[in-house]
Amino acid sequence: MGALYLVALAIALAGMVVLDRRFRLFFWHPAPHSARRAGIVLVVGVVFFLGWDVAGIRLGIFFRGETAFMTGVQLAPELPLEEVLFLTLLCYLAMNAYGALARVIPLVEERTSAARPRLETTTRDTGEHG
Amino acid sequence: MTYWALDAVFLAAVVVVALVALAVRRPPRPLALAAGLAVLLLLTVVFDNVMIGVGLVAYDPARISGVFVGAAPLEDFAYAVAAAVLLPSLWALLSPRRGSQG
Repeated sequence: MGALYLVALAIALAGMVVLDRRFRLFFWHPAPHSARRAGIVLVVGVVFFLGWDVAGIRLGIFFRGETAFMTGVQLAPELPLEEVLFLTLLCYLAMNAYGALARVIPLVEERTSAARPRLETTTRDTGEHG
Repeated sequence: MTYWALDAVFLAAVVVVALVALAVRRPPRPLALAAGLAVLLLLTVVFDNVMIGVGLVAYDPARISGVFVGAAPLEDFAYAVAAAVLLPSLWALLSPRRGSQG
């Protein structure tokens, strides 16, 4: 029970890696030196969000809830081990999503602009029948 | 310090990085960034509510605005905004110069 959240995060993170590798989104992105770039982006992102978390905890804005779902391992007061995995997941998800969308959106735009003349014809036909 | 004030400090840093990416003409793709932001905001609504619901995290009521999306304080969404803007901006900043690609 105590490792439930940690295991859930690890599974989700493994899913991100599988998607990244399968669709070449972030570490496996086809651009040059993508693995090194992705490593820097991920580390800077996680450190940035950890700083945000620690600041929030020190200011007493938020704190670790009392729950049976966490291991209880704390990296700093009120900062559970799970938070590092959560922030890594957030950053990985953000970059997988961006990588996928940056590739898909131009394809959709291309298809839409190619289909536009046909769509206009269809509209005119429908108009005549109506 | 309120949660909004804390968010403002870290979002300011995000804005600086995004502006630098624009200034050196290596901005992230705006449509992909906006769509990615929408994805992250939607997932935050779902998962932040679950995380607060099962008690993974709690907030000092005196330091949050009291505006919620379900059980999630509106301030929490700043994390999604920061992730959606900061990371693609860094990624774009680290892209190789066109000249060196040959």
